[in-house]
Amino acid sequence: MPEEVAGGLAAADKYYRDYGSRARELKKGGAKIIGYLCAFTPVEIITAAGLVPFRIKGDVNEPITKADTEMETIVCPLVRSCFDVSLKGKYEFLDGIVIPHACDSISRTYDVWKYTLNLPYSHFIDMPHGTGEPSLDFYKSLLGTFRTSLGKFTGREISDQDLKEAVGLYNQNRAKVRELYQLRKASPPLISGAEVTKLLVAAVSLPVAEATRLIDSVIKEVKQRQAAPAKTARIMVVGAEVDDIAFLDLIEDSGAWVVADDLCPGAREFFADVAVTANPVDGIAERYLRKIKCGRTFREKEGSYDDYLEERFGHIGRFIKEFKVDGVVLYIYKYCDPYGFDVPAMKSYIESAGAPVLYLEDEYSMSTIGRLRTRIQAFLELIAK
Amino acid sequence: MTEEKKPEEKKKRKTATEAAGKIGPMVKAALAENLRAKEEGKPIAYSFIYSGYDEIIRAMDIVPAWTENYAGICGVKRDAQRFLERAEGENFSRSLCTYALCGLGFDSWREELGEMPPDPPWGGQARPTVMLGSGQVICDPRYKWYQAAQHYMPDVPVYVGGLPYPPYEEDYDYREVQDYYVKYIVEELRGLVEFLEKHTNRKMDWERLSQVVDISDRTWNMISEAYDLRKAVPCPMGTGDAMNTMVPMTFMMGTQEGLDFFKDLYDELKRKIANREGIIPDEKYRLLWGGGLPSWFALTDFNYFNSKGAVFPAEVTYRLVEPVYNLDLPRVSDPLEHLAWRWVRYWTYRHDRARKRPGSTPDVERLIEYIEDYKIDGVVMHEAFSCRSWHPGLIWQLNQLKRVYRDIPSLVLESDIVDISSYNEADTRARIDAFIDTLEAVKSR
Repeated sequence: MPEEVAGGLAAADKYYRDYGSRARELKKGGAKIIGYLCAFTPVEIITAAGLVPFRIKGDVNEPITKADTEMETIVCPLVRSCFDVSLKGKYEFLDGIVIPHACDSISRTYDVWKYTLNLPYSHFIDMPHGTGEPSLDFYKSLLGTFRTSLGKFTGREISDQDLKEAVGLYNQNRAKVRELYQLRKASPPLISGAEVTKLLVAAVSLPVAEATRLIDSVIKEVKQRQAAPAKTARIMVVGAEVDDIAFLDLIEDSGAWVVADDLCPGAREFFADVAVTANPVDGIAERYLRKIKCGRTFREKEGSYDDYLEERFGHIGRFIKEFKVDGVVLYIYKYCDPYGFDVPAMKSYIESAGAPVLYLEDEYSMSTIGRLRTRIQAFLELIAK
Repeated sequence: MTEEKKPEEKKKRKTATEAAGKIGPMVKAALAENLRAKEEGKPIAYSFIYSGYDEIIRAMDIVPAWTENYAGICGVKRDAQRFLERAEGENFSRSLCTYALCGLGFDSWREELGEMPPDPPWGGQARPTVMLGSGQVICDPRYKWYQAAQHYMPDVPVYVGGLPYPPYEEDYDYREVQDYYVKYIVEELRGLVEFLEKHTNRKMDWERLSQVVDISDRTWNMISEAYDLRKAVPCPMGTGDAMNTMVPMTFMMGTQEGLDFFKDLYDELKRKIANREGIIPDEKYRLLWGGGLPSWFALTDFNYFNSKGAVFPAEVTYRLVEPVYNLDLPRVSDPLEHLAWRWVRYWTYRHDRARKRPGSTPDVERLIEYIEDYKIDGVVMHEAFSCRSWHPGLIWQLNQLKRVYRDIPSLVLESDIVDISSYNEADTRARIDAFIDTLEAVKSR
C-alpha cells in the first residue's frame, strides 16, 4: 500500500479527484477488481474471495451521452451517469460487476450492464424487500450462491475463516467512520460535510484496510485543526446516493455546515456493523437486510402509525438531536422510486421532530445542482429567523 | 382549481373482436361490484396484477380492487391529471409511476373529504380493508405505493410478500437454486393467508383454493391456445384488443368468468380464421409489440397502425402466461407450492433456449420466438417515462436482438401510461408514418 493512502485529507482529495487510480495500480500489480453498485452489495464476500470491491461512481460534470444508446433516459440519472462513464472507459480495469436488487433503476438494468461491459464476471443478488424470517433465510441462500459463484470465478472456495477476517476488516472500517462522525458534533464541526463525503467516496474506491488507514489519518489530521468559522445553520442531508461533493459545497458555500447525513456513502452505509456469528453469512445477511435503513427495504408496520414512522425514520430523528441539526434537506433524484415515495411520510416525521425540511428534486448534473442555490439560500434564511 | 378541470374524453376505440368489445362493461361492472361490496361490509383488498395472489384472494372471497386498473381507467377517460396534480401537491415527484401517483392523488383526496372526490371516473375506488403489495424484481411501486398510501390511511394494514424468480446467469443453472426460491415463495404466500385471516375475518378453505388453482391453470392454457391462433394470416386479433383482454387475464384469474371469457375468445378467433376474417382486409405488415405498457389514453394509435395496413399479431406486454402443460411442474398436493412452482417455471421458461445462443437472454429469446412464430416484419416498443418496471432494458433488448439474431425494423415510441401531458398525437403519428415507410422499403427490397 502506498504511504500516501494514510495521508489525510490530501490523499482523500487525490483519490476522490482521480477516482479509480488506486484500483488501476492494484490491477497492474495483478489484483482482480470487482465493480459494484449500491451499499447493498455485500463487499465482505468479495473481499473474502481475495478480490478488490470497487464502488462504481458517476460524474456530475460529464454529460451523459454514450449511455443513452443502450439505457433509457427514464432510469435514475446517477445510475445512467455511472453507466455512461463506465462505457467511456473510466473503469477499464474492472474484472467483473456485482449488482444487488436495490431499486428498479439498478436491478432492471442488470442485463444492460452485464452484456454491454462484457466483463469476465457478473452476478445479480436478488435481495428480498421484506425483513421477516423467510426473507432472511432466502437472502442467506442467495449469499451462499454468490459465495459459490465467486469461488468458481477465482478458482478458490471462500472459507468461513476468509469471511470472518473480511467481516473484521469492515467492522474496523465502520468503527472509524463512526469515530469520524463524532468530529461533526462540535460547534462548529471539525470537518465539513463536503470533506466527509469526499473522504468516504475515496474510501469506497480502495481496499478496505487501506480505506481504514486513510480515514484514521484524516481523523488525526482534523483533530489538530483550529476551530472552523461559525456559520448560520447546521444542516442534515437525507437522500439516496450522493457520490459527489458539488451539492454539499453548495450548501456550505451558502453559509451553513452540513453536520449529519443519511446518505450513501455516509451514515446509512457505514454505521451498521456485521455481528460476529458462528456462521459469518448469518451476520452479513442480518446487516444488509435488517440494519441498513433504506427506502428499498420494506419494514412491516407494527403498532401505531407513529411507531411505524419511528421504525422507518427514527435514526434521522436521533441524528437531528445528536448532531444538533437546525434543518434537513431531502435531496432526492428524479426517477428515484424508493425515496420518492417516502417524501411525504419522511417530511412529516422530520417536521414533527422539530426540524424544518427543504425537499429538492435533482437530476445529478452540475447544471441542475447550480439552480438549487436560491432555494437553499431561502431555506437558510428561514432557519435563521 | 384542479377540482374544476373537465376531462376531454376520447371516443370509444373500434375493436377487432367481440370479446375485446365486452371489456369496458366488464370493468365497469367490477368497479360497481367493489362499491357494492363496500356497502355490504365485505373485505376489499387493494391489489396489483400478477402478484401471484389472485387464487388466494378468490378462494377467501375477498374482493380485489386493482389499483393499477383504476389509474388506467382514469387515463382512458382522460381524467387522470387532477389526481396526478393532487399527488404532486403532496410532494410526490411527477417522475414516479403515474399509476401510483393517480392512485395516491385519488386516495389522499378521498381521505381528506371522507367521501369520493367529485365526479370520480366510473364511481370511484372504494376505501380498502387491506393493501397487498409484493416484493419482486418487477417494480418498486409494488412495495412503495401502498406504504405511501398508508400515510393517508394509517389504519389499513399492508402486506408485502416476496415473489422472486431466479435470474438468468451463465455460471449457474436455475435448477441449482429453484428449490430455495420455491420454499421462500410458499412461505410468503402462507404469510399472506395468515395476514388475510387476521385482518379480514375470512378463513382459508384449502379445498376451495385447490379448485381455484385448477381453474387458473386451465385459464393459463386457454389463453395460450387462444393467443396462439393469432399466428394466422390474416391475423384475427391485434395488440390493441389484447390491451383489453388483459383485463380477464389479470383481474379475473382463478374465476370461472375469466376462464369462460377465454373459451369464448378462442371460439371467436377460430370462427374468424375459418372465414379468413382479419383485423383489416388487406394486411401488409405484421408487427410485434416488443415491450412497454401502452398509453391508455391513446389506444387508438393501434387503429392508426391498422389504417396503414399494419397489424400486431403478438405482444410481450401482458402475455403473462405459458401453457401449464409445457412448464414441467412437479406434482405437489399443496396448492401454494403449485403456485410457487408455476411462478418460478414461468419466469425460467426460456433460460435453456437463451443458453444455446451466445449473448442472448430469456427476454431476447422471447422476441425471437414471437418474430418467427408470428411472421413478424417489425418491432414496436413503448417507453413510458414514469415506469421503471418493464421499460428499462428495452432499448438494449432491441439492440441485442439485432446483434444476436438479425436486423429488423423497429420503432420506440415515447410517452406515458397515464400522464397525457407527455403525449403528442401528431408527433406520434408522424413517427408511425415514417416507420411504415421503412417497413415498405424493406419489403420491396
